[in-house]
Amino acid sequence: MRTDLNGELMMLREMAREFAEKELVEGREERDNYPFGPPPDDLLAEAVKVGFFSIMLPEEMGGSARPLSALCLVLQEICRVDASLGAAIFTHALAMEIIKRAGGSAILEDVSSTETSLSKALIAFPSFDNPGETEPEAIAGKKGDSYEISGMVNYLVLGGLAKRALLAAKMKEGGGNSFFLVDLERDGVSISEPVLSLGLHACPSVDLSLSRAKAMLIGEEGKGDLLFEEAVDRLSVAAAAMACGIIKGSFDDALQYCRERVQGGREIVDWSEVRMMLAGMAIRGKVAEMLVERASAAVDGEEKGWQLASRAAALHTQQLAYEVTIDGVQLLGGNGYMKDYAQEKRFRDAEQLQALMGFTPLRKLKYIRRIIEGEPAWAG
Amino acid sequence: MMAIGMVAKGNGWTPKFEDIMCSMDSLGKMPKGAVVEMKEAMQLARRFNRAVVRPYALELDRKMQQDPTYLPWEFVEEANRWGFYTMWIPKLFGGKGWNLGSMIPFVEELATECLGMANLIGVQYFGISILFSTWNVRLIDMICREVVEGEKSGKPCLVSGAVTEPEAGTDAEEVELLSKARVRCHARKVDGGYLVNGTKVFISNGHLSTWHMLIAYEDLERPEETMVCLAVKNGMKGFSIGRMEKKMGQKGCPASELIFEDCFIPDDHVCFNAEQMKGLRRSAKETGMQVIDFVVSATRPGVGAMATGAARGAFQEALRFARQTEVEGKLLVNHEWAQCLLAEMYKNMTLARLTYMECAHINGRYGLASLMNHKPVYYYSRSMPTSFFDRIMPASNRRAITTKLVRKLVMDGQKEEDAMRASGWASLSKFAATDLAMENCRLALELMGRAGIRQDRRVEKILRDAKLLQIYEGTNQLNRLNLFKCLIGPYAPEARVFEE
Ligand SMILES: Cc1cc2nc3c(=O)[nH]c(=O)nc-3n(C[C@H](O)[C@H](O)[C@H](O)COP(=O)(O)OP(=O)(O)OC[C@H]3O[C@@H](n4cnc5c(N)ncnc54)[C@H](O)[C@@H]3O)c2cc1C
Repeated sequence: MRTDLNGELMMLREMAREFAEKELVEGREERDNYPFGPPPDDLLAEAVKVGFFSIMLPEEMGGSARPLSALCLVLQEICRVDASLGAAIFTHALAMEIIKRAGGSAILEDVSSTETSLSKALIAFPSFDNPGETEPEAIAGKKGDSYEISGMVNYLVLGGLAKRALLAAKMKEGGGNSFFLVDLERDGVSISEPVLSLGLHACPSVDLSLSRAKAMLIGEEGKGDLLFEEAVDRLSVAAAAMACGIIKGSFDDALQYCRERVQGGREIVDWSEVRMMLAGMAIRGKVAEMLVERASAAVDGEEKGWQLASRAAALHTQQLAYEVTIDGVQLLGGNGYMKDYAQEKRFRDAEQLQALMGFTPLRKLKYIRRIIEGEPAWAG
Repeated sequence: MMAIGMVAKGNGWTPKFEDIMCSMDSLGKMPKGAVVEMKEAMQLARRFNRAVVRPYALELDRKMQQDPTYLPWEFVEEANRWGFYTMWIPKLFGGKGWNLGSMIPFVEELATECLGMANLIGVQYFGISILFSTWNVRLIDMICREVVEGEKSGKPCLVSGAVTEPEAGTDAEEVELLSKARVRCHARKVDGGYLVNGTKVFISNGHLSTWHMLIAYEDLERPEETMVCLAVKNGMKGFSIGRMEKKMGQKGCPASELIFEDCFIPDDHVCFNAEQMKGLRRSAKETGMQVIDFVVSATRPGVGAMATGAARGAFQEALRFARQTEVEGKLLVNHEWAQCLLAEMYKNMTLARLTYMECAHINGRYGLASLMNHKPVYYYSRSMPTSFFDRIMPASNRRAITTKLVRKLVMDGQKEEDAMRASGWASLSKFAATDLAMENCRLALELMGRAGIRQDRRVEKILRDAKLLQIYEGTNQLNRLNLFKCLIGPYAPEARVFEE
């Protein structure tokens, strides 16, 4: 592992923080109105330009070849202010990870070299789905030396924006699931209106209906579930980083509000029950911060048991994010429930993020299954 | 602190039977008909859900996202046609006279399908509870009859309750805090009435209501002793309705700003002030708290019922999903962990319900409408048609002496320990049930994964809607403190609340 990254990482974090404060605070409420407000294209294009969508790509492919820790830092800073952009970056990164693992470097190059067009720079992906858990409703069959897919894909993230999508489909002939790249602008693809969701409104999603749509196989036939799980091993800690960012944002705003809001003749921060709630938030936030830092280092260093470290970080931090953001709303009283403040959005976003990469309970069961089957539970 | 039934015995805590088992204590003491009414109210709510609420809930939520200033008159008119805005107004005042206890299971049913719509109906009785808690019989009669008229004419006449101000939320709910509060809604006594200046915020149904039960203060330096309640009607000079909030959930029910600029309220619209309450045994401050307690003891269990509905809605959607969805090769409902999770949700919902039902017993015995639960009064009122009371009541309701007598009877007649029990339990139900509801929403979302986050699966709406339950009617923090004050404090005489 390169050891000279600390300084660089710090700079990257500063850059992400500056970007978040400059680009994400203003217009956050309006963007959250999507699809009843303008689409987030401009912001996404800006984020692509800055390089947030290619942090981990090799340099020769136009990326900045940074470790996962770098992505985690960027996601944390961004999600502190607006997790929608974070979810877009995460979704794209997860898709790229799968493609990379499957050896699709030609595609990666293509994606990163077409920075001029937003739709080409993004890969849509159903990042809330684990194809191994619920059977895909899309079925693929061979057609000549290519493939065709028919059926449904629900909640395709970035679906209305990206030109291409990475999708899992069941093979007509049986065997496991496989991944395919589909051009969403070609025949046989029909895209729904944006799906209305709990949170992450500015990270749009659609339902997809496919009728013999042309598709390119990514990786080997029947190896989709394995590819997905391997990508989740790595990217889970990035999901944890997003939750951690939300926690920090929620706490910071709550603390500031409690210092200013007066009830019962004093700033409410001076009521000990309010302090108790703030303490709970701050401690959870600290735990999340340490967890993400350690787990991402473990992943980058491929330390013993890094896969489970990454997964545990996501599961735990996502739970913490729910607990923190619910109090983050509560501490602002009625104002916390209103769109004018970002706290209600953080609460919705956090609760939506827990569904990333499949059912939370199944992710827990998978975690323990791997230990039962022999992976070490502890690093030491 | 005041003693409730028991005095501290050393360090012990030995509650009275009725403090911890009021429902058992009530067996045989409450009219059986009240239970029949509960069942009937529940059935009626289910019919309404099928016909109106379920088909429209998601659409209204979506409409509000598209246009946050939309006012759901079509729903209010429908509820008005079904008679829900007069259902729990006593026959003495022209209403349908359903037993108050039947409202909470009714609210639970509605809330199961849509909390916003449950609130569009429930808030009516928040406004009316404030009116009733002042025991100003003349104004109760006048306003209730307008509501009844609104039902007959098809032009809904709603009543909102306006307590919260921009700088006083928690403070406005508790007299001990009120003395330090930054309240700004000033009612200056002038010839023939009050001149009101100030702003109220977050007032549910504000934009939809004809009447607004306004809490204001004669002296902003001594609000705890100078609280007044005024009946404000739309169209009064100097009164206007301001912005409508953009909320996370319960979107169908508007939260409104009420603005008062030199608004003159004539004396005959004063529901209560310190002057009127002279001659009662409590001080002005204690009377203020008594009025607040009358209201919140009745309405907080209502929030508990809404929360139960939310917990149940989340449970029902989760169960539906578990029965339809195959995960890892078998139906979700056949995974042991999912069965335990559903059992947990069932438990949460049931515990929530038990808390508000206990309050129903306490309120039925000692609360706002306890008078109506004395068996002779109950059966007499139930058997006579409203038209019978319409012939005899208005004249006597209008007489000042009636208000005086009723206040003596109800306000002076209420024992401290009974008021505290009702208020403490109402708080218990409010924060327990609302926390349980949130827990169920979280569990449902976990169980449902990607499906749960979609608006068309309903459960994410329940989560958004339910979060409000932890905030209004006093935040859950205030309600914990109120429970301490009412149910624990009396046994710990050295304890001081809101004084740390
Ligand atoms: C959608 C909506 C509808 C509403 N409808 C109505 C209505 O119809 N009529 C009406 O009058 N009001 C209504 N309210 C107002 C509601 O009752 C208040 O929001 C609530 O009482 C909290 O007050 P606040 O918002 O000012 O919060 P604050 O009082 O400012 O509280 C902020 C935070 O500080 C905490 N806190 C404050 N004081 C203390 C203390 N002493 N000890 C510990 N913690 C403390 C609170 O628990 C909270 O977490 C509504 C509110 C909303 C959001």
